[in-house]
Amino acid sequence: MSKYHNFMRRPLSRREMLTVCKGGFGSLAFMSLFGVSTFSCSRSKGGILAPTSNVQLGPHYLPKAKNVIFLYMDGGVSQVDSFDPKPRLAKENGQDPRKKFKVDATQFDNVGKILKSPWDFKQYGECGMPVSDLFPHIATCVDDIALIRSMTSQFPEHTNANYFLHTGSGLQGRPSMGSWMTYGLGSENKNIPGYVVLDGGLIPPGGLDNFKNGFLPASYQASILRAGPQPVANIIPKEKIPNLQEQKLDFIKQLDEKQLEAVGEADAIESAISNYELAYKMQSSIPELTEFKEETEATKKLYGFDSDDPHTRGYAAQCLLARRLVERGVRFIELTCPKVSADRWDQHGNLKDGHEKNAHAVDQPIAGLLKDLKSRGMLEETLVVWTGEFGRTPFAQGLDGRDHNPSAFSMWMAGAGIKGGTIFGKTDEYGYRVIENEVTVHDLHATIMHLMGIDHERLTFRFGGRDMRLTDVHGHVIKDVLA
Amino acid sequence: MNVLSMLLIAGAEGGPSDFLMFLGRIHPLVVHLPIGFLLLAALVEWVVKKPQFQPIKNYTYYLWGLGSISAFFAVLFGYFLSLSGDYNESTLFWHKWVGVAVLLFSLVCYFLSKKQWKLPAYGKPVLIFLVVFAIFYTGHLGGNLTHGSTYLLEYAPNVVRNFAGMPDKAVPREKVTVLDSADVYLDLISPILDRRCVSCHNDDKKKGDLNLNTYANLVLGGESGEVMVPGDSNASDMYRRITLPETHDEFMPTEGKPPLSADEVAMIGWWIQVQAPSRGFFVDLEPDEEIKNKVEKYLGLDKNQLLSQTVQPAKREVVDSLSNFGFILNSLMSDNHFLEANFSLSEQPLKPQVLETLYGLNEQLIWLNMSNSDVEDVHLEQIGKLENLIKLNLSTNAITDKGLVHLARLQNLESLNLYKTKVSNGLLELVPQLPNLKRLYISDTQADSTIVAQLQQQHQDLLIEFD
Repeated sequence: MSKYHNFMRRPLSRREMLTVCKGGFGSLAFMSLFGVSTFSCSRSKGGILAPTSNVQLGPHYLPKAKNVIFLYMDGGVSQVDSFDPKPRLAKENGQDPRKKFKVDATQFDNVGKILKSPWDFKQYGECGMPVSDLFPHIATCVDDIALIRSMTSQFPEHTNANYFLHTGSGLQGRPSMGSWMTYGLGSENKNIPGYVVLDGGLIPPGGLDNFKNGFLPASYQASILRAGPQPVANIIPKEKIPNLQEQKLDFIKQLDEKQLEAVGEADAIESAISNYELAYKMQSSIPELTEFKEETEATKKLYGFDSDDPHTRGYAAQCLLARRLVERGVRFIELTCPKVSADRWDQHGNLKDGHEKNAHAVDQPIAGLLKDLKSRGMLEETLVVWTGEFGRTPFAQGLDGRDHNPSAFSMWMAGAGIKGGTIFGKTDEYGYRVIENEVTVHDLHATIMHLMGIDHERLTFRFGGRDMRLTDVHGHVIKDVLA
Repeated sequence: MNVLSMLLIAGAEGGPSDFLMFLGRIHPLVVHLPIGFLLLAALVEWVVKKPQFQPIKNYTYYLWGLGSISAFFAVLFGYFLSLSGDYNESTLFWHKWVGVAVLLFSLVCYFLSKKQWKLPAYGKPVLIFLVVFAIFYTGHLGGNLTHGSTYLLEYAPNVVRNFAGMPDKAVPREKVTVLDSADVYLDLISPILDRRCVSCHNDDKKKGDLNLNTYANLVLGGESGEVMVPGDSNASDMYRRITLPETHDEFMPTEGKPPLSADEVAMIGWWIQVQAPSRGFFVDLEPDEEIKNKVEKYLGLDKNQLLSQTVQPAKREVVDSLSNFGFILNSLMSDNHFLEANFSLSEQPLKPQVLETLYGLNEQLIWLNMSNSDVEDVHLEQIGKLENLIKLNLSTNAITDKGLVHLARLQNLESLNLYKTKVSNGLLELVPQLPNLKRLYISDTQADSTIVAQLQQQHQDLLIEFD
């Protein structure tokens, strides 16, 4: 597993990040040609903000959500141990599953006995949604949550399932949903890219291709912010005296402009000038973002900054950062999982210990995020999505693990345009297969886009001779979970 | 003929037998085969005059033969279908006999080709022309029988329609924007019938001898008498059939057509109950709250009326100067020009002329985010003039009750965010003046739980976020 963890040893350099940002700003500038400008261009003279795509930005219809926070539960949370209680598993605990139902081949095909959930379920909220003891904090938010118990994936293996969930295709190389959203809607902030991945420590299997722009313009790929004091490389000025840096930059700019006069319009030089300026601005904007100076102790406590568990504290910081990014107009924010000792949610063995450690790291921060967004009135415009790439089997792998199960898993959404307290879809008595209202990953994408004001059939990009969509030729909006 | 009549007699209750009906329903399938074969045959007859097509001349009679055989089955099955008696009789008469003519003409062509008989003068081209013409004519009549005679030219330009002796396209009734102006039949009942029933119950295709395209025809009823008893929905066959379980034999709409929605059923039931008037304003019929809500939802009046208006694009110079002041302006939909303005990310201070310029977007602006922007009470006077605002975010600003009074004119406001402001008692005066307010965020303000309790008591549907 180490190859996943070590994927992002070198943080994104400031220049790389700027390259990513540049094109995005160009298309924003293009928007002003349509009579609607997305931010002030007063500082950027001389055609720096050149159009990169001929797409008119903006939603198709009045959006419910302006931003998405995608809480990615890497590895696949067990549905029967979290949000989909199955009493029958307790009754038939230890019996041979192959005598009860048809068992598909699993990844390791080490099929054990039917395994009851080690956790109890209780009903919460006015809606009475059952939640297991793994998530005592999230359980207090169920009235804002629409739970879908009938998710399916097409792939029983992490890498393909991750690509499928992130890009709508099991193969490598398609644009990520965050790229589609920023491509369709643009970003509001000129200092931060529109699609940000907060790396909690674990880049999911499949690597950075989960967050890439694919055939969309490169400006729409995710920028990854690492946890800790240096989220972006070289973000702390190297000059001891600020004045010296400014003077240096001014001098470089003078030289560049002279050159520009000599050669006429040249995108490379114009971009270089604006990049240096932006980089200088980021040295203040990024630290301002990642230092939580103006956050009160009460807020930090709500997220779990005072937890004994360092992973809870780490994920709490990521959740708080996500809220701050939403406040700054960032369109799509994905949080990857913290690196707890048990390795993601992928418990092929030692289910109880592993799921407990993972749940403990994310439970309080997620609940804190939902409550904080709610009391600030931000949940009205922010869609929070919680999901893994697939579910786990109701029978054991070996003695105490669970194997991958793409035939059924649970996910939830909360916030903008979501009908809180809803439970949609149904699995069989073992939680093994969906028997009612199957929701595919395409349907999920269509629904998220719908909430952002995008008609998933109309947001297209011509590539390889046809108009490509995030949902390809599939996808139905799940109206039952919408308010 | 004897075999046929035996099959006929075997049918239940005087109608044709199930097996005949089964064959009859295959008619629309089979009917396309002779069309294809015969048109191809005619085409081949024409092109074989050219030397390069000469070799296929000896095979054309196969095409006429295939066309004749398939035409025979099309005619036979068509006859079975006609026995159901669901079709306009005069159209059916011509469709049937022109169809038979196609069969006969094509048989003649077959023998002409096979035996290589010569006809005098232009005999053969004329015959072929007759086949083609008859195919088109009977095909057109068949289309009229299935889809109704107005189907073909429903969306044709008026010139074409007038040429065919049809009136100009009906101007659709203007969309109802106020419940008071909704006509009970023209705006509520007639559109439901048009959408769900008229495709089978019209002038040409009177299933069950029932025609629902006008009020007068509806009153006439169908083969089993009246379908509607004014004042008694339960005695009305029409109401009974749309409320049966979907799997029931007599359920309407049948043949897998989409059923009426629960609200549509309720509206029809209510209309029959109030004596099924053919005209008159809906509100004059003293509807109760429940049906009123359903009708509002049906007419799309439950949503904010503001959004059904079309607004002009924002003025370029206003947009430019607001951008220079630090506003982010977002388009909110592709088919209208409503805008969102966001000042919360501005790096520039809030100067008085900023809000004066913002008033230039009075018409387009429906969402405004002034969070954390040093907004003070005096500024609210300008903001309060933006009467189209649906969402207003004033969080994290030092505003007090004094400023709140200016917001009373925001009659469209649905969401008001006052998080981390200094408002308190002023809410009790403001909130009752905002009829559309649905969500109010007042955490971290001077408001206390008694104020919240009072607000909640007065406005039970209002979501108040407070902790």
